Amino acid sequence: MFDGALAGLGALLDIKLLAMIFAATVAGVLIGALPGLGATSGAALLLPFTVTMPPVQAIAILATLYCAATYAGSITAILINTPGTSAAAATCIDGYPLAQRGEAGRALGMATVASTIGGIFSVIVLAFSAPLLAKLAYQFGPPEYFALSLFGLSMLASISAGGAVKNLIGGVFGVLLATIGIDKMSSVERFTFGSPELAEGIHFIPVLIGLFALSELLVQSTMLNQTVERIAMKAVQLPSWEDYRRTWRTILRSCGIGTFIGVLPAEGATVASMIGYNEARRWSKNKDEFGKGAIEGIAGAEAANNAATGGAMVPTLALGIPGSATTAIILAAMLVHGIRPGPALFTQQAAFVWAIFGAMLIANVMFFGLGLVGAKLFARVTLIPNTYLWPGVFLVCVVGAYALDQSMEDVWIMLVFGLIGYAMRRLGFSVVPVAIGLILGELVETTLRQSLVMFDNQWWKMFTRPITLVFFVLTALGLASPLIFGWLEGRWRGEEPGKRRAEGPLSE
Amino acid sequence: MSEGPSTPTGSASRRGDAAERSPLAALLVPGLILVFCAFVAYLTTTFDRVPSSLAQGMQPADYPLFLLALLSLLAIVLAWQEWGKPRSRREPLPAVFWITLGLIAVFVVLAAFVDLFVAFFVFSFSLSYAWGERRLGLSLIIAVLTPAALFFLFGHLLEVRFPRGLLTNLIYG
Repeated sequence: MFDGALAGLGALLDIKLLAMIFAATVAGVLIGALPGLGATSGAALLLPFTVTMPPVQAIAILATLYCAATYAGSITAILINTPGTSAAAATCIDGYPLAQRGEAGRALGMATVASTIGGIFSVIVLAFSAPLLAKLAYQFGPPEYFALSLFGLSMLASISAGGAVKNLIGGVFGVLLATIGIDKMSSVERFTFGSPELAEGIHFIPVLIGLFALSELLVQSTMLNQTVERIAMKAVQLPSWEDYRRTWRTILRSCGIGTFIGVLPAEGATVASMIGYNEARRWSKNKDEFGKGAIEGIAGAEAANNAATGGAMVPTLALGIPGSATTAIILAAMLVHGIRPGPALFTQQAAFVWAIFGAMLIANVMFFGLGLVGAKLFARVTLIPNTYLWPGVFLVCVVGAYALDQSMEDVWIMLVFGLIGYAMRRLGFSVVPVAIGLILGELVETTLRQSLVMFDNQWWKMFTRPITLVFFVLTALGLASPLIFGWLEGRWRGEEPGKRRAEGPLSE
Repeated sequence: MSEGPSTPTGSASRRGDAAERSPLAALLVPGLILVFCAFVAYLTTTFDRVPSSLAQGMQPADYPLFLLALLSLLAIVLAWQEWGKPRSRREPLPAVFWITLGLIAVFVVLAAFVDLFVAFFVFSFSLSYAWGERRLGLSLIIAVLTPAALFFLFGHLLEVRFPRGLLTNLIYG
């Protein structure tokens, strides 16, 4: 392990790789600061550029962008009350009022410090827990992986966007998409319509670009009449000792919350920041200040959302189950590069894994410096007119979809999924479950069929294996979580039990 | 997440309210999902069957059919969950949205039959204009420079060969 760690961290001494990490940090901060483009759509757009790179560079760049963009969402959340990424939505609640009081620099300083602490904390947890989890995964056979991937899909029920049933529909749709192509067990073509390109299966990259980036262009076309009020700022200020005294407990708590939420399959920085913010409020002595510019609110949300980045990489690298939407894209990139995440990754390619840990650590330090020195400059990226930005995004979407296989068919697929993504968002569905379902789909089918062969088609024997049973129980809990949380919420609010039931058992 | 207030009320009291949709609208999305499932289930009937020794207990169509059954079940749960909820009408889509869609259609035609980079130029310039940009000179420069930059970046640095067309034929010879 130590040899791998040394080799991986040594790889980061390469000036070219460091320059790439720096460029990806700058790109991540710019993308994160642009409302509409976030870590996920940014990673989807950047993915085609990384295909020709060596795997370490490619994944390091995407992981760096993930960390930097998650932080940078706070810049516009604080200055223009528009979160650059959904993970920064909770930061708006107190960041913008504080900025309105003329303390934008203080708010951005706290966001930068809390994000950096959260990010570094989670990378340290990632570096120690992912290899341990991978060791456990050595005991996994096809039934365990099948149960684990089902657990990952069941967690879609509890992600915040959409609603439990809508998210599950999206997830199953994604798994269904993964059946397109030649069936690996029988070599029979399924849903290929005679197309040789589709026989290999549907490529992740065009689908992800369409779902996340192109659908956002269509969303933006409906929001052109919105105007934003920009708050002027002199410079970012590091938090005062009084601010540290008030927030250190909140930051530590949010580091733990964010990392834990990030580790859960499918849950990401957005959920983490909401919970981090709520817990900051719950434990604060100054509850009345929340919503009016509480510095603890900013610290709670920002430490949690950046802590979720390292957390989300734990199941992604150790088990091949994405911890968030952006890590689903990073997982897709790993598969494109022929890297199969899982326990073998930590023994056979330890240097690669440690290089990714190191890159994420460096990214956190870099965005700390960039945030303190250049937040004012990066905020100006929001001045780029939509009339120039989004045509450019469309062009990058098309070239990105085309570049992987140099096939116009991938461009048409990207356009179709852009329309599907927009229709889903318009109808209240999230596109994240589709992406996660598509990426996990092959694993679900392959492991199910291998398990059936193992047990001679007696599927119920899967329940006799302890780890599989644990994952099935967790899957049931994951599916029931909206019900359980709904019931608990009703109890806390003192509602009559029948009143919630009238809304339907799975309503949020 | 529900789109309107979640207090359950009788459908009769909402019938006259123009700002609210018919309760039947709640069935539109589940209905579309069920139609989609039926169509895809029909497609699975076109799959080849393999001998049972090769199928190993599961024919190629079985797994997609299981997923479709699950999707249909979820659509029914969604319909049950949404039925009777008061629903406000969605904001109508602005004209510029439909223009954007139209420009994407024009892009497809130009990219397929003329040239990808001509399609880029036309789309980039037209979308800027449609979204309200009136500095035509600047729009023109950006509509030329952005595709050119992408061609240089992907074509030269990442060695991507773009599809042949009116312009690319001139470049590739």
